[in-house]
Amino acid sequence: MAFVPIRYNWRSLFVRRSSTALTVVSIGATVAVLAAVLALQQGFATLLTERGREDVAVILRTGAGAESESGLSREDSELLIKESPEFAVDAEGRPLASAESYLAVRLRKTDGGETNVPIRGVQQGTFRVHGDDLRVREGGRNFAPGSDEVIVGWRIAERIRNCGLGDTLRLNLTPFKVVGLFEAPGAFESEVWGDAERILAALERPVYSRVIGVLRDGVTAADLQERLAADKRLSVKAVDERSYLSGQTEALSGVFLGLGIFLTLVMGLGAVFTGINAMYSSIAARTREVGILLSTGFRPFAIFVSFLLEAGFLGLLGGIVGVLMVLPLDGVQTGTTNFATFSEFAFSFRITGVVIGGAVAVAVALGVFGGALPAWRAARMEVTTALRRH
Amino acid sequence: MSPRLILKNLLAHPLRSILTLGSVALAVFLVCMLQAVVTALSSATSAASSQRLWVQSAVSLFVDLPLSYESKIAGVAGVETVCKFQWFGGEYRDGGSFFAQFGVDADTFGPAYPELDVVDGSYDAFAGRRDGCLVGQALADQYGWKVGQTVPIIGRIFPRVDGSAWDFVIQGIYRAKTTAVDERTLYFHFDYLREAIEQGAVRMEPGVGVYLVDLRDGAEPTAVMSAIDALFENGPQRVQTTTEAEFARQFVTMLGSVPVLLRSIGGAVLFAIFFAILNTMLMAARERTRDLGVLKALGFTDRWVFVGLTVESLLLCVLGGAIGIAVAFVLSLGVAKAIASFVPGFEIAGESVALGMGLSIALGLVAGCVPAWNASRLKPVAALRAED
Amino acid sequence: MADSDPIIRLRHVERSYTRGGEILPVLQGLDLEMEAGAFYALMGPSGSGKTTMLNLIGGLDSPDAGEVIVAGEHVDLLRGAELSHWRAEHVGFVFQGFNLLPVLTARENVELPLQLTPLSRSQRRAQAERALTLVGLADRMTHRPAQLSGGQEQRVAIARAIATDPSIILADEPTGDLDRRTAEQILDLMQRLNRELGKTILMVTHDPVAAEFADRVIHLDKGRLGRIDHNHEPRRISAEAAADVG
Repeated sequence: MAFVPIRYNWRSLFVRRSSTALTVVSIGATVAVLAAVLALQQGFATLLTERGREDVAVILRTGAGAESESGLSREDSELLIKESPEFAVDAEGRPLASAESYLAVRLRKTDGGETNVPIRGVQQGTFRVHGDDLRVREGGRNFAPGSDEVIVGWRIAERIRNCGLGDTLRLNLTPFKVVGLFEAPGAFESEVWGDAERILAALERPVYSRVIGVLRDGVTAADLQERLAADKRLSVKAVDERSYLSGQTEALSGVFLGLGIFLTLVMGLGAVFTGINAMYSSIAARTREVGILLSTGFRPFAIFVSFLLEAGFLGLLGGIVGVLMVLPLDGVQTGTTNFATFSEFAFSFRITGVVIGGAVAVAVALGVFGGALPAWRAARMEVTTALRRH
Repeated sequence: MSPRLILKNLLAHPLRSILTLGSVALAVFLVCMLQAVVTALSSATSAASSQRLWVQSAVSLFVDLPLSYESKIAGVAGVETVCKFQWFGGEYRDGGSFFAQFGVDADTFGPAYPELDVVDGSYDAFAGRRDGCLVGQALADQYGWKVGQTVPIIGRIFPRVDGSAWDFVIQGIYRAKTTAVDERTLYFHFDYLREAIEQGAVRMEPGVGVYLVDLRDGAEPTAVMSAIDALFENGPQRVQTTTEAEFARQFVTMLGSVPVLLRSIGGAVLFAIFFAILNTMLMAARERTRDLGVLKALGFTDRWVFVGLTVESLLLCVLGGAIGIAVAFVLSLGVAKAIASFVPGFEIAGESVALGMGLSIALGLVAGCVPAWNASRLKPVAALRAED
Repeated sequence: MADSDPIIRLRHVERSYTRGGEILPVLQGLDLEMEAGAFYALMGPSGSGKTTMLNLIGGLDSPDAGEVIVAGEHVDLLRGAELSHWRAEHVGFVFQGFNLLPVLTARENVELPLQLTPLSRSQRRAQAERALTLVGLADRMTHRPAQLSGGQEQRVAIARAIATDPSIILADEPTGDLDRRTAEQILDLMQRLNRELGKTILMVTHDPVAAEFADRVIHLDKGRLGRIDHNHEPRRISAEAAADVG
């Protein structure tokens, strides 16, 4: 069967330049919104789950769902670190485990307002647990053990006051010097880290919040949990880091995903409406051309395909425009309070392949959906009526 | 153009008119919903009282204050009553559904909150029973709770040593007269928690999250705030005293970019729909170029044509907007329930309706003006020559 | 029929168009007078300026130079809304393509120009019905243009042109899209409007047979006036065409 040359559709789009441009922009803007929300969700979700490790165990007090609700005494922490055979050891025979304190402290944001910034006091073991995952950026260094120095996650360095390199950050009454900005897996980049003992003292905290440790090969967090549950001296529970982190963000991630789906449905419907209108009007103006095509001998199905392709083009152009619109958002920092932890969580828009592919696919689909009905009508026109119309 | 002609033109392409109507309705629906979320998120601020003060740790909201502070705060001039507030953070039914629980002092909590209206059971019954609790109407509706029923809650911050749940018995169901209080909270006796801790049922130190201070009539809030802060300047723990309004505002600023994000989405939606409608209106006018030429030849003035086309677009958009608002209103009743735990107080109220209507009118005018202007400038001779 | 004062007077009228950067002179110093109450046909080859002349007289277009005086008014000096009001009062147009508004019924189409008059709703309706009855479409009042034949559509258009009772009817190829028999019926209708209602009619046509229905035939050639023929005995509708006028 002979198909209508694709040139015909392509050029028709350019003949009706202003209409094509307006349709493309409106499909583009629709797709841009979807892409932006998707980029947000991507930036958010990858930050939290992608790098959570299954071979790292997180130990919290029984019942606590998050560090902020947990508390482990110094003795218990010591016991967990020293007497857990599940933890791997380093070359010098030290367990790859560490106790950490965690408290979200109210700090001023640079744009005004306040937020709760997680302050994490860590033992040197924490750096051994994370190894190369944590990196202090060029120009700074790690805090010296036992000193009143902190390092700040790079994502909040500019969002929170007094968190820039070289600044002095006052925690409760104690001034801490910011000596480095660090990059690290996920949510850590929204935190301030200092020496565990100094942080506990400054914040007047009596207890640690959690113990983390690298599991030996072949041991799972569930194995550790099983032993701890049986240990009557302790009232703690262990989970692997990945499930811990996803538990922290499930709610917020769900909100973004829900928002994304809701917007896709509602706005997508609007875009299909636009597409139908544009294609109907475009085809109505070309009734005579349809007549000519039919009388030349093209089959109705070829005409249907031809107009459907044209609508697909329209969508494709819209998708490209939409992606171009959101491209400047890539890497832009934003932040909100994660209500699961009630503390600041900074993340960036990430225009990933998923975002681009998804946006373009949705755009093409919108175009095709919008074009189907008008194309069907065009294909079913009677040659004689089509030719007779002025 | 006569009203009849405008109407007939709209009816001539029923599909196009319906689709345009639908687009506007969808856009206005979305904007209304997003606006309602933003309004709801910030509504706590507007209704909050400046006659109530909150005393919290100067370090962090997550740090408890000593019990001994109560009598010291009560001694400050201008303070009428002091009520202890403790965030409980427990789980009901495996954490699947979240709502806030607070331990409070029954004798001072009620008087400090006249907004609280106990509609079932009574406040006195609550005050009179150690393990009693008050629950909001929205919570009671959601879980089908009745007065007298026991609500088991697993403590996450305050886990019982034996792993069992805390049992609170509902003594009253309240409604809130303003948005300063939400209807999704469970209030129980602080002393019930303290006793349990003292009896060793919970391995925790007793502490107070926040002290709520009700001011004496005529007391100057700023003076009282600085007096309280000064009281604990040298420890053992410093405090920060704020008015309830300021406290609520802090919570709103914690949302960070969320309101901006939602507003940007709304803006983008309007942007997309504006172009769609502009396109439709331009197409509709272009298809009728010859008709417009005829009207002009018959003696209709340029202004007639301009006004007629603008009114046509306006009519479509206002009607679409009204539908969008109506749909948003109907759906919001269900949505409000679904998102009540994240966004309490979600409703399509005056502000959203006004915004939606204003935007539809603006959309209709602007999208109608462009083709109407073009049409009014058309030379009749050229218009009559136009191909269909 | 012969009124001494001309109802249409063109003096040294010039009009040119630019197309593709080139100036095309269409009317080059046209002088012409037309008597009230006469039926004129305007003939000439394509591009001789027939439609341009019609548009100038009807106030749809303005001359580059010269005067266009119609029914005592300097049409070339009128602008914007003034011109619209003048058109509404003095001229009725009939086009080759009928140009009815497809969304309105026959009666509503005829009522359209009446909306520019101070008439009440019921008066407008009555007048529209009278005009439609006059053109023989009393039984098609509520039909849409799409439900009418070409001839019927043109009758509706004529009814619309006479609805406000203008003194002049300007028709541009009114029979161009119609078959011979229907065309004759339309021409017969125009003759009746001329004779019975005293309308001055100017009809552009390239069909010599159609022109024979007029009293005078003006020939235009390359934007200049040619000869003016007088039909002392204008052609009448043929018996067979008259037979099926409903």
